[in-house]
Amino acid sequence: MVSYLVYGLVFWPMAGAFLSCVLGRRHKKYRDYFVGGAAVLEFGLASALLYQRITGGMIGGIIGQPGICGMGLSFTVDGFRAVYVCIAAFMWMGASLFSIEYFAHYRNRNRYYLFWLVTLGATEAVFLSADLLTTFVFFEIMSFASYVWVAQDERQESLRAAATYLAVAVIGGLVMLMGLFLLYHQAGTLEIDKLREACRGKDVYASAFCMLFGFGAKAGIFPLHIWLPKAHPVAPAPASALLSGILTKTGIFGVLVISCKILLHDALWGSLILALGVLTMVIGAVLALFSIDFKRTLACSSVSQIGFILVGIGMQGLLGEENATAVRGSFLHMVNHSLFKLVLFMIAGVIYMNLHRLDLNEIRGFGRKKPLLAFLYLMGALGIGGVPLWSGYISKTLLHESVVEYSRKLSEGIITPVFFSAGGMKVVEWAFLISGGLTVAYMTKLFAAVFVEKNNDAALQEKYDAQKNYMSPLSAGVLLLGGLLFPVMGMLPGITMNRLADLGQGFMGLAKAGERVSYFSPGNLKGGLISIAIGVVLYLLAVRGWMMKRGGNSVYIDRWPKVLDLEEYLYRPVLLVMLPKVCCGVCGALDMLVDAVVVLLRKTVYRDHTKMSELKEGNWFTYILGSAMNNICGIMNCIFWKKHPNKINYKHKLALDYWGLRETIYMITRSLSYGLILFSIGLCATLIYLLVGAVK
Amino acid sequence: MNVSIIILATIFFPIFFGAAILSVPEFRSRNHLLVAEGAGLVITAVLAGCTLGSAETELFLFRLGDKLDIYFHPDSLGRIFAAVVTIVWVFAGFYSFEYMKHEREEKRYFGFYLMAFGVVLALSFAGNIVTYYLFYELMTLFSVPLVLHSRTKEAVMGGLKYLFYSLCGAYMVLLGIYFLNKYADTLNFTAGGALNRELAAGNEKTLLIIVFFMILGFGVKAGMFPMHAWLPTAHPVAPAPASAILSGLIVKAGVLGIVRTVYFLFGESFIRGTWVQTAWLTLTLITIFMGSMLAYREKVMKKRLAYSTVSQVSYILFGLALLEPSAMTGALLHMVFHAFIKVTLFLSAGAIIYRTGRTNVDDMAGSGKEMPVTIWCYTFASLALIGIPPASGFISKWHLAVGALQSGTGIFTWLGPAVLLISALLTAGYLLPVTVKGFLPGDDFDCGNLQKKEPNLWMVVPLIIFAAMSILLGVFPNPLTEYIQTIVSAVL
Repeated sequence: MVSYLVYGLVFWPMAGAFLSCVLGRRHKKYRDYFVGGAAVLEFGLASALLYQRITGGMIGGIIGQPGICGMGLSFTVDGFRAVYVCIAAFMWMGASLFSIEYFAHYRNRNRYYLFWLVTLGATEAVFLSADLLTTFVFFEIMSFASYVWVAQDERQESLRAAATYLAVAVIGGLVMLMGLFLLYHQAGTLEIDKLREACRGKDVYASAFCMLFGFGAKAGIFPLHIWLPKAHPVAPAPASALLSGILTKTGIFGVLVISCKILLHDALWGSLILALGVLTMVIGAVLALFSIDFKRTLACSSVSQIGFILVGIGMQGLLGEENATAVRGSFLHMVNHSLFKLVLFMIAGVIYMNLHRLDLNEIRGFGRKKPLLAFLYLMGALGIGGVPLWSGYISKTLLHESVVEYSRKLSEGIITPVFFSAGGMKVVEWAFLISGGLTVAYMTKLFAAVFVEKNNDAALQEKYDAQKNYMSPLSAGVLLLGGLLFPVMGMLPGITMNRLADLGQGFMGLAKAGERVSYFSPGNLKGGLISIAIGVVLYLLAVRGWMMKRGGNSVYIDRWPKVLDLEEYLYRPVLLVMLPKVCCGVCGALDMLVDAVVVLLRKTVYRDHTKMSELKEGNWFTYILGSAMNNICGIMNCIFWKKHPNKINYKHKLALDYWGLRETIYMITRSLSYGLILFSIGLCATLIYLLVGAVK
Repeated sequence: MNVSIIILATIFFPIFFGAAILSVPEFRSRNHLLVAEGAGLVITAVLAGCTLGSAETELFLFRLGDKLDIYFHPDSLGRIFAAVVTIVWVFAGFYSFEYMKHEREEKRYFGFYLMAFGVVLALSFAGNIVTYYLFYELMTLFSVPLVLHSRTKEAVMGGLKYLFYSLCGAYMVLLGIYFLNKYADTLNFTAGGALNRELAAGNEKTLLIIVFFMILGFGVKAGMFPMHAWLPTAHPVAPAPASAILSGLIVKAGVLGIVRTVYFLFGESFIRGTWVQTAWLTLTLITIFMGSMLAYREKVMKKRLAYSTVSQVSYILFGLALLEPSAMTGALLHMVFHAFIKVTLFLSAGAIIYRTGRTNVDDMAGSGKEMPVTIWCYTFASLALIGIPPASGFISKWHLAVGALQSGTGIFTWLGPAVLLISALLTAGYLLPVTVKGFLPGDDFDCGNLQKKEPNLWMVVPLIIFAAMSILLGVFPNPLTEYIQTIVSAVL
């Protein structure tokens, strides 16, 4: 039963992809509904799997296809996987249903849906994989198939962003493969559950780092986050929702495998992840605050939220055995972020499909007098901002709690510091709170711009206000379904989020639930409120004070210095210009090595003959003698006979003489007298012979 | 005895039939020519199938001198090579039926095409180095007319360069055969080596130089640095199916020669840990990197693919040079996979040239919209060559890298995999832009003028077959892997 569900989850979308392609050639409309239906069916399968897991009907064991790709594909189901499979299917379902309206006027939809469903199957397979080879196989399929999403509308900037996405995916994939080689060499297996035993006592940091590079590139960890801010604004909104909500999580899944299955409770590794997490969290949030493009803000926000999750993963490594808060916090934040981004990007999609604009100055005021849209946005924003009673607050509290706990243990001396001292942890905590504040600030910036302020162009504002049919009931329903989850989950954490966490924590090596955190205790509320306060202050000072041009009409301006674009000013020049130039120079020289030797030989010892085939006049003797005399004559002309140069062509003269001589000889040899002379010579010879004989 | 006749027929039927096509004037008519060629290819394939299907067999033809036998003995390695040769040669031949329509003097092309087929089969069935060498030279001679087919100045110069390089390599090999004749027990291919260690004692230094010469000599055909330069010259001027054969198979004859020399004549223990192994490894890694870098720089499609061959064949040589079972498995797998992949790439490049006349990569924007099946085949083969799972290249590279890590060859254990991956990155860099530009030419591309330009079935079906092989051999590699592992376990 379970194995059928697993195969269904992985291979049904892939089969459906080709069916949709065939169907799409006949009936576009049916195809759209078919894709929606396929995703709903997928969600059904995923729910069945989750249900099976919760009721405990099945569990454990590897479901495999030996022999495929050499080492065989294998899948397994545990709590974490079941939950994430379900979330992925849910997001695909939402985005597919939303796509029906969003893509109504797009070209090349057949292509888009083909890759849409292929990616779904591959993503599910990544989450279900039981060994890293399977993970890698489907990870690559997923990366390549989702490339088409980004490039979908074929505009120049889309193609450029898609190229960046592809480059990051390919480079990341290859570095990850290097990590797998090293890991396999050292551990002798790639089965995720056996890795911990197999790697015990071995130095696997090199392979872990390579794999972190690969998975981190997908997750958007600094400094490999560059594809997110580029790809999201140009990709279609449903695609952005999935790229940001779920594809980045496959990267996180990989990071979790490294951190919890290979290097479980390794403090050094935890410090590395924590450091990367803090950087990613802060930089993403700052980028988001500066951005003046609706989707770019959301994309940078994704980078930042991934940083929050990484902080949690880092903390669970640092805290060691007693890491319940960190484990549960990072897992719940993963779930939350997936759902937030689904709703928020679909709202971006609603705006884009009506206006075909995303610049804040142009879409400003669109949301006025649209209470449903404003409500949905608020759900997402309050959730991601970590406001109490919404679900984001729960996960952020857990994460914050883990940081605080670690600092406390450090200062009490229970744990010896590794890399991060007590002071360092203070910095981490403040970075965490400030990033939370930045989240509030940039979500407020978007809210104010779209839903509160009026557009500078009054006529346009009137048009916006008059617009009522801005989304179809189906899209609205999907959005409501997503949006209402957040307050429900946030207000009833005990029966929703705690249970989710119970399901997921086993994957991260946490057996017991640990004591329940009381989310709404004053101490925990304080952390959340500090963040919100920082957010409000930042919004008022930075956004309203500095990032908007005052005057008659206030305008949002992009204050981010252009030179800080890592991609444009570092990666592209180095990787596309400098390195290839140097290497091509060297390789070009190597390439010509033998040919150059051949050419050299032909110019020197193996030179072709310069002689002509036939001499025009004279013979070789006259030719060489004549040339020599000509040369001598030329030299003499230059030196001694300057006034009366000798202009005779000896070559010609000798040739003429030679011809003359030959004529004479010819005449002589034909004459009678010549015959007589020869005859007499013969007689003389005979005579001499006889005389010599007589003497003897 | 019965079986031996089949070997004889497999080898000499295509050679004589090809000669007949060349000499009988009746075949000037295109229809007659194609029917005869088709029949020739199919009959040869059936004969080859019979030979491959029969159990262990051998054929002793005649003796040239004291030890110099002309002797055939299809062992497992030869069988794999012959099987790949047969599949590729027959379908690329069918592809030529359409492709050569625009060329003059088809009769000559098809005649030599069939003759070369027989010679390459003979070479894969060869049971000793003398026979191998004989047919190796014949292969060069019969393939030169395919290269200079168009008889333009570049083509003739390209053909001559090919001849020059090949002969240089062959003489280095010949030198080695003289020495082997003195120091080996037998010139027959013997798993594990036939070198007489007592005779060789005291002359190891000389013999090492001789092995190195033989590796370099066969390496000329295999496109190993420094004698690789004929590939990028000869490939672009030859007709596409001829380039495909050249790159997919004839180049591999050099690889096969090296396998025979190192593993079946001298024995791997003779060169393990010596300067020969180090130098050989170094040369292959240089070639891998140089080939893919230059392919990345190159703009002419077929030249780019030729450089790619330079790089990819050295993957195989690298695996062989490690002298490690897993790496050798990977190398032999890559020999098979690369044959199918590179044939697909050259034939799809040929299809583009045939239908649109575009030879430059930058001009190929939008070709995916005109000939989607061709570009899809190209894309699948590209993914396989880069090594994206589950396509075939991934499997061979996996074995290569794992083998390198286990080989205990010092710096090469990690440098090898690193170079493989950098080269894979470059491979993506030079292959994928064609796909990307082909399918996604950008919104300013004028789609109005596009016409369906898909070539007809004679060209498309072979393409699909080869592309499918490139993928499916990666998804279900185990039968092949196991077969190859039996070869490897016999020699290592």
